[in-house]
Amino acid sequence: MSGGQTIEVVVKAIEQVTPLIKHFQLASPRGEALPAFSGGSHVIVVMRGEARVHRNPYSLLSAPQNLDSYEIAVRRMDESRGGSHFMHDRLRVGSQLEIAHPVNLFGLDKIARKHLMIAGGIGITPFLAQLEDLHGGLVPYELHYSVRSAEHAAFLARLQAREQEHVHIYYDSENQVIDFEGLLSKQPLGTHVYVCGPAGFIGRVLDAARGCGWSPSHVHWEQFSAPPTGDVFQVQLARSMKKIVVPQDSTLLEAIEAAGVDVPYLCRGGVCGFCQSKVIECDGELLHYDHFLSDAEKAGGKTIMPCVSRARANHLVLDL
Amino acid sequence: MLITGIKSKPIYAPLRFDEGGRYHLMLGLGVGREPLRRVLDEVRDQQALAVARTEVLYVPAAGDTGKATDQFALPGLAAVCLFGNSNALLEDFRARLGRSLMGTRLYVAGPESFIGMAMKVALDFNLNKDEIRAEECGTLARRVRCIHCRAITEDVKTNIAQCIGCGLWLLVRDHYSRRLAAYMGVMADAEAPGELPEIREVFL
Ligand code: FES
Repeated sequence: MSGGQTIEVVVKAIEQVTPLIKHFQLASPRGEALPAFSGGSHVIVVMRGEARVHRNPYSLLSAPQNLDSYEIAVRRMDESRGGSHFMHDRLRVGSQLEIAHPVNLFGLDKIARKHLMIAGGIGITPFLAQLEDLHGGLVPYELHYSVRSAEHAAFLARLQAREQEHVHIYYDSENQVIDFEGLLSKQPLGTHVYVCGPAGFIGRVLDAARGCGWSPSHVHWEQFSAPPTGDVFQVQLARSMKKIVVPQDSTLLEAIEAAGVDVPYLCRGGVCGFCQSKVIECDGELLHYDHFLSDAEKAGGKTIMPCVSRARANHLVLDL
Repeated sequence: MLITGIKSKPIYAPLRFDEGGRYHLMLGLGVGREPLRRVLDEVRDQQALAVARTEVLYVPAAGDTGKATDQFALPGLAAVCLFGNSNALLEDFRARLGRSLMGTRLYVAGPESFIGMAMKVALDFNLNKDEIRAEECGTLARRVRCIHCRAITEDVKTNIAQCIGCGLWLLVRDHYSRRLAAYMGVMADAEAPGELPEIREVFL
């Protein structure tokens, strides 16, 4: 099943919106409506390079009401394992791509009394679609967006045009920082906080929320980080009777897929839990990089999330 | 035709202080005072700030004329308010939630009907399970909602009870609605009108 059936799309427009971010508009080649989605959803884009296939998740930032096209934004990563470089360097208007059906792991709480959204850098993207859902509604909301400088602030015009009274922008270049503690300590009961951005940024918001007494059910976050690279290791797939090698810059999941074995996935970022696989044997150490398993499960060594995690072992056998 | 198998009857654990919270709002009715006192003992061991961020709302049992300070002897509490009945308490509670901030934890101690009513208010403010703790004590009498006329009969102690709305004899089921804070009551003699099972006091 691997994230379900894919949809064929063609690149309709490309715009360099900041020095590092490109904005892509994707549409059906036959001009058909694309599947419906809700604010906060992402799609997995399948990129077929010569050497290998990349599958990266990107948030949909277009209005959920508009199904003529999807919009995504891709930040060029310094140490890209190839995905963002492929998107930046190889795609042209008219290029064909495959994407998986949209999945929402970062939806707004339906009965929240207030939404507090906090974005760092490229983490603004899921909020752009959510703002479309919230606009004109009855539930109060605020967006706090922290970004390097005005030059780097993607979609500033879009934010400023409509959402002025709800949107607060902080520029690093002007030493403006979000006071997470201050913000989280004065929210009315029933508020939900949503944070998307780099790992350290998310971590600071989560710490502040805990410090202010927020219960976990009111705190939501999403992080699309490139899965970590690491040393080469070998894996045996017991059920499909294959022995594979996971290269340095490839994830375990990618290596398994390259060997022709399907593993279900939704997020490819270690949060959804779909790719969870059973470890039958391991004579070394599992390197867990996911946010799904509990610490106890990680220590137990019986299970692994191949979309992000790796191993340092001579003999690793998975129940796949 | 006693219907079993549907048991949405809530289960409660003994009340404990939640160190993860910043503000603590405690509600009690009658014998619910004991669990609250126990939690306040835990609060006492915290920093003074925790005490100053704790409020207690309480309905004393009938005939109990002690002052607020006698009921909950912990100096420095943000508030100790006594009420003549649970409706008055719940009204104040609702107003308080309207002014409360994220980081608030709710503690409820008393009979299940009281807990249910408090939960219903809390739900309106999107308080989730991880923000609410409750301990059941005192009477097991149930609030029963007639599925025929929708009237709510309070303080039902028997397996079969007459609906205050339509007068039908209702069988009290274990099917509990959090939204209504009530158990479901279904016509007890539907199959053979006038033939009722033996009426027993079961919810004491
Ligand atoms: S695909 Fe979501 S955790 Fe691996």
